[in-house]
Amino acid sequence: MTAPVTAGRRYAGAALDRVEGLDKVTGRAAYAADHRPADLVHAVAVPATIARGEVVQVDVDAMLKRPGVVAAIWHGNAPRLATSDEELAVLQSRRVAYRGQYVAVVVAETPEDAREAARTLRIEYVAEEHDVILRADHPRAYRPENVNAGHPSDTGQGDPDAALAAAPVVVDEEYGTPAEHNNPMEPHATIADWHGDGLIVHEPSQNVSGLRATLASLFGMPPGHVHVVSPHVGGGFGSKAKTLPHTILAALTAKQVGRPVKLALTRRQLFVATGYRTPTVQRVRLGAEPDGRLIAITHDAVMQSSTLSEFTEQTAVPSRVMYAAPHRRTTHRVVRLDVPTPSWMRAPGECPGMFALESAMDELAIACGVDPVELRVRNEPAAGPESGLPFSSRNLVACLREGARRFGWAGRDPRPGVRRRGRTLIGTGVAASTFPALRAPSSATVRAEPGGRYTVRIAAADIGTGARTVLTQIAADALGTAPAAVTVELGDSALPPAPVAGGSMGTASWGTAVVRACEELAARLEAAGGTVPDGGLEVTADTGREVRAQERYSRHAFGAQFAEVGVDADTGETRVLRLLGVFAAGRVLNPKTARSQFIGGMTMGLSMALLEESIMDGRFGDFLNCDLAQYHIAAHADVRDVQAYWLEEEDPHLNPMGSKGIGEIGIVGTAAAIANAVHHATGVRIRELPIRLDKLVR
Amino acid sequence: MDFLRPATWAEALAAKAADPTAVPIQGGTDVMVEINFDVRRPPALLDLTAIGELGDWELTADGLLRVGAGVPYARIITELGDRLPGLAQASRTVGSPQIRNRGTVGGNLGAASPAGDAHPPLLACDAVIEAESAARGTRMIPATGFYLGVKRNALEPDELIRAVHLRPATGPQYFSKVGTRNAMVIAVCSFALALHPGERRLGAAVGSAAPTPLRARAAEEFAAREFDWSGATALDPALLARFGELAAEAASPIDDVRGTAAYRRHAIAVLARRTLTWAWNDYRGKAAA
Ligand SMILES: Cc1cc2nc3c(=O)[nH]c(=O)nc-3n(C[C@H](O)[C@H](O)[C@H](O)COP(=O)(O)OP(=O)(O)OC[C@H]3O[C@@H](n4cnc5c(N)ncnc54)[C@H](O)[C@@H]3O)c2cc1C
Repeated sequence: MTAPVTAGRRYAGAALDRVEGLDKVTGRAAYAADHRPADLVHAVAVPATIARGEVVQVDVDAMLKRPGVVAAIWHGNAPRLATSDEELAVLQSRRVAYRGQYVAVVVAETPEDAREAARTLRIEYVAEEHDVILRADHPRAYRPENVNAGHPSDTGQGDPDAALAAAPVVVDEEYGTPAEHNNPMEPHATIADWHGDGLIVHEPSQNVSGLRATLASLFGMPPGHVHVVSPHVGGGFGSKAKTLPHTILAALTAKQVGRPVKLALTRRQLFVATGYRTPTVQRVRLGAEPDGRLIAITHDAVMQSSTLSEFTEQTAVPSRVMYAAPHRRTTHRVVRLDVPTPSWMRAPGECPGMFALESAMDELAIACGVDPVELRVRNEPAAGPESGLPFSSRNLVACLREGARRFGWAGRDPRPGVRRRGRTLIGTGVAASTFPALRAPSSATVRAEPGGRYTVRIAAADIGTGARTVLTQIAADALGTAPAAVTVELGDSALPPAPVAGGSMGTASWGTAVVRACEELAARLEAAGGTVPDGGLEVTADTGREVRAQERYSRHAFGAQFAEVGVDADTGETRVLRLLGVFAAGRVLNPKTARSQFIGGMTMGLSMALLEESIMDGRFGDFLNCDLAQYHIAAHADVRDVQAYWLEEEDPHLNPMGSKGIGEIGIVGTAAAIANAVHHATGVRIRELPIRLDKLVR
Repeated sequence: MDFLRPATWAEALAAKAADPTAVPIQGGTDVMVEINFDVRRPPALLDLTAIGELGDWELTADGLLRVGAGVPYARIITELGDRLPGLAQASRTVGSPQIRNRGTVGGNLGAASPAGDAHPPLLACDAVIEAESAARGTRMIPATGFYLGVKRNALEPDELIRAVHLRPATGPQYFSKVGTRNAMVIAVCSFALALHPGERRLGAAVGSAAPTPLRARAAEEFAAREFDWSGATALDPALLARFGELAAEAASPIDDVRGTAAYRRHAIAVLARRTLTWAWNDYRGKAAA
């Protein structure tokens, strides 16, 4: 294991402004949908209006007679794709797996004509009965082999049932989280353009290397023939990480019509086929000694997926990491329904799972009469509770203590429903948070020019997080130069392959490759006597071996979330007066962009706690509230006081920067902290999110 | 789709008479949403924004405020907040600053959504809507007779709204709304109250809890009959409670994504008691001074 390069560190850790900030605020930064290649035509995807069944016929001929219409494509006349993955097999079958699935696409000279054509295209279906509502006791619930991120479905130790039966204090409750939609600011859009046998795709993507590989295999060509361009991404929260049906549709359409195609999704379409967070039904049982020390933890989670593919969120996985207990079990079950396939949304698994676990911990604190901060401290494990692996670093207790100090937790009266300010009931709550600190193999190239400038090239993605800026800082330190001398090129599949901006592992993975390339370049320069040859000097690093050989540790970031809420005693209107989070996430490489990630995650957690809920319409089989007028996200006026702090954490077992990912941990635990505060304010325990008015006042 | 842009009110009325299917557009904050969502595709849009007088308000000879259909919420708040406090309070809760700059009471009336925030104060203040057509001239429609059903109002196909007439407040007025978030929120339910001490009565109206906004008649009659209008005494808690119950009984809410019917009934009683307490305290303060 290499020690972090602390020597010469000057820019990592500094609050550098975003290097592309000016381009963005002046509108110079071009996003995918801004591209207008010559001869462009416009495509609109046509969604199925049944939730299950078959397409019998599509009236293509009538459509082609309409002015401005260039093509209408469905299964009957679509080019064949090389895939057995039903999720990617767009227009490859007559089957309809969910309402809104793309069953055709129309292409026209103008967006208006295309929209009109899509609206009036006649499609004949044979509908079958559908099943779209998740229930914990659904007869078709089954145990998947693995859950998302490769975790085993079920784990266990000891005899939790017997331990719970004998435990002096038991909490046994069911918790629920609804389906939620990612809703990045920038809606998804694709410009697909074929040149000979090559394909250029402008697409906001969290994973240009992955998208290139998938498209290449679907269209049966070498990866080098696909070029994904994605310099700026207006947010993703996971929804731009996988290859999505609309991208395939655009590429397929452009191939068929022989002209560049633009396919831009509307906000409402984002609620159908760009992924979403699965609803969950979770049962958590905690058995404890009277002093709160845990004897047993079980966490059983039920999620949904589509009939097309099995995506099982790793909901119970955080319960394998958080607290010590000799007897334990976690299980995941999935039900395949006639719904769109759920996908990644900021902190999949950890986020909904920690709502349940951290609510249950609050209930246990009350049952034992132990302070909720103290309860968590008492159950701190010495090593990974299930894995037995040592933690590379674990500062949950320090986060709880520091948070309690800053928040003014000491002396909190635990009694619920007794604090009033006028007609407002006041309460405070706490929850822990956690997120794995992972790393994936990456490559990167760095090039030195004779004039003292450097260019770093890596197929990373900056989805608004500040990745471009942080990689600039990392490279500047590794090269011993100033950030102004370094240009980072990313968001392009022609650059050296790099992993997804996801799983909070982007900076760790990409940064390692950038450091290794820079180190190698510096060594070569030194060997060459310190002068850059006229033609420049270029070095490529690949971290595959380094990452695969890394020592076995339990690597996680931790945090503590504190919330103060005010609940109108008569109407149940809940306002979050204060949110305060303290995180331990290794070295923070840029306090400015890092703070934005933390408070952004916490704000999204607030939104999850009080507002976000995609409501499945059982009769029609689609999400009912599929626009921002009905799917509420916290507005500025809801976010009054959000503070994020972090501890200086030295961890030599991570990566050359000593950093852990920070993109997701901010949302983990927030909803539980708020629900716990609502209980403290009102005495009402909300176990099913969101915390709606009519759940508080009945 | 035709886009008609009359320069004068007379031209607008003529255009509406010539094509009664033309859809008027003022701030566009409802019309454009409907067009974007393909709720409707009108053959023509009738843009009223060039007609200057729609954006004016004046005090009429009989002492009423005549507020043009095109006066945006932002100006109702700043220019009429003192004389129309109930309507101004409701205006403050509408959407966001952008929506308050564009959106108008005329548009709220045109849309006639049961959740429209202007409606309860208009009802509580006995507002009268001035409608006009080229063929039949002006028609004065009391707010109580304006709302006919979900998003249906009393306008004839050839009529346009010219203005709303309201008496400047003669007593305290309050508006209160329950929503799931702090801004940009459609009312889960709302309630408006206007005291008319000279007439020893009050106006009370409920929003977002029935197919149309409506007056809480039984609550109004109860207040006129039972309250001590000399303004000398505090309200008996039993009277307050009964007033809340009667207000809630006026509603016929439904369950929807914003809240259950039972919650809405409960919340209307709360809002009725709350606004009445504020208004009555003001009234007693004034009466005592
Ligand atoms: C983001 C957002 C938030 C919103 N929040 C709220 C809210 O909190 N509370 C609320 O009540 N509303 C809200 N609305 C709805 C809307 O802003 C209001 O209904 C507003 O009052 C409409 O006014 P407008 O001038 O924009 O109407 P327009 O959209 O121009 O017109 C609305 C309707 O009235 C008709 N119309 C307009 N002028 C006339 C006229 N002179 N004669 C006859 N018919 C006419 C139109 O044909 C149309 O049917 C919101 C809308 C948006 C987009």
